[in-house]
Amino acid sequence: MLSFLRRSYLNFSFMNPHYCCLSRNFSAALPPLLPVQLPSRMETHLWYVVPDEVKSAPLLSKYMELLPQYERDHVLGFRGDQLQKSALLARTLVRTTIARYQVDDHLDPRSLRFKRNIHGKPEVEWETKDGFCPPPLQFNISHTSSLVACGVTMNSLIGIDVEEKRRRTKNNILAFAKRYFTAHEVEHLNAIPDSELQQQEFIKLWTLKEAYVKALGKGFSSSPFNTFTIRASSGIAVETLDSPQNLTNNWQFALLELMGSHYVAICLERQETGGAGKALPIKLTARKTIPFVEDELVSGTNAVVTIGGSVTQF
Amino acid sequence: MAAASASSFTSLKSRPAPGLATIAAVKSGAPLSFSFRRPVPAVSRLRISCAAKPETVEKVAKIVKKQLALPTETPVTGDSKFAALGADSLDTVEIVMGLEEEFDISVEEDSAQSIATVQDAADLIEELVQKKCG
Repeated sequence: MLSFLRRSYLNFSFMNPHYCCLSRNFSAALPPLLPVQLPSRMETHLWYVVPDEVKSAPLLSKYMELLPQYERDHVLGFRGDQLQKSALLARTLVRTTIARYQVDDHLDPRSLRFKRNIHGKPEVEWETKDGFCPPPLQFNISHTSSLVACGVTMNSLIGIDVEEKRRRTKNNILAFAKRYFTAHEVEHLNAIPDSELQQQEFIKLWTLKEAYVKALGKGFSSSPFNTFTIRASSGIAVETLDSPQNLTNNWQFALLELMGSHYVAICLERQETGGAGKALPIKLTARKTIPFVEDELVSGTNAVVTIGGSVTQF
Repeated sequence: MAAASASSFTSLKSRPAPGLATIAAVKSGAPLSFSFRRPVPAVSRLRISCAAKPETVEKVAKIVKKQLALPTETPVTGDSKFAALGADSLDTVEIVMGLEEEFDISVEEDSAQSIATVQDAADLIEELVQKKCG
């Protein structure tokens, strides 16, 4: 039971100067969200929350209030506090982040509606209003109990996947890979003599494959993992089995190590190329956040290390 | 304000509104599934049961608990959703692999993706095992 979501009086003490507080003790609403600029067409925004850093029961309570009833039910459907908390933070992150882009001047995280496209991928359902042309905002969420992340672009289909670096499979890696990955990927893993490194390579491969399928947005049954190979020798590329000679150029990847503890894989639909079809690097802005409390720009710091793909951090 | 569930454990009987099995899967990072429950064939009078349903559900529950490192006394029933128990997409695939080994069956990837609850898994297993048993 999410015991700390019992109704309690609010008592915030926001320490961060980024947010203007009238008083340390809040008994009413959350402060307004600070707006942020939409990503340009070439940019990718990565937002993340570290659940362990969000400890305030009143704050979590307020997050819950942002959600429509069916999302609250969904959060409470998870078994145990930790799972419920990361589920809550995932919904809060996506709602507050999209709201902050101020697409529609009075966008309230509460009023955002989500729908699914014909393939089942979640999308924002913008209000239909005269003269309002919804922006081609794309987003994707991923979370583990220790990290909640949301990637946002303008126009580029995006898929992200996060995983703890030290995640271990219960099954033997090679047995698992032989069952679910492609022959090339099995070979790649098999060639790694150190078991610790092999485990990490496996997790990297897993997150990249997940990110690809999530970016495609057509569901996992349309792209089973053994029908495409992720090649990560020089740069990262995907090769589908039905056209092996034709490295699928539509998709580009980034693999990041976050806070030294997590892998984050990002897959993007390629928008433009440089001269002679050469891919331009992914322009990434990464921010760690606690919604309504603080943001920290972390791209270009030790917190976000590019370990695969061509990425420029801003 | 959402009322916290009165019971200590999340009520397994309170299912989310239709459509949320898929939303639940997406939110937790688990694979999208487009069918909430894999269609089970109509009862066949010539059905040979190679595995009784409660036993199958029990075995599935045991494998799930092992994969998710849940204490053995954790209540896991047919209604239990993998995602709600904390299974992400990697866990789900590992669970399916464990089921394949336990029951000596082979689960197609698209069937695997449609498994949302313990009962779904048990039903699928029984169907595959029956095919094998004749």
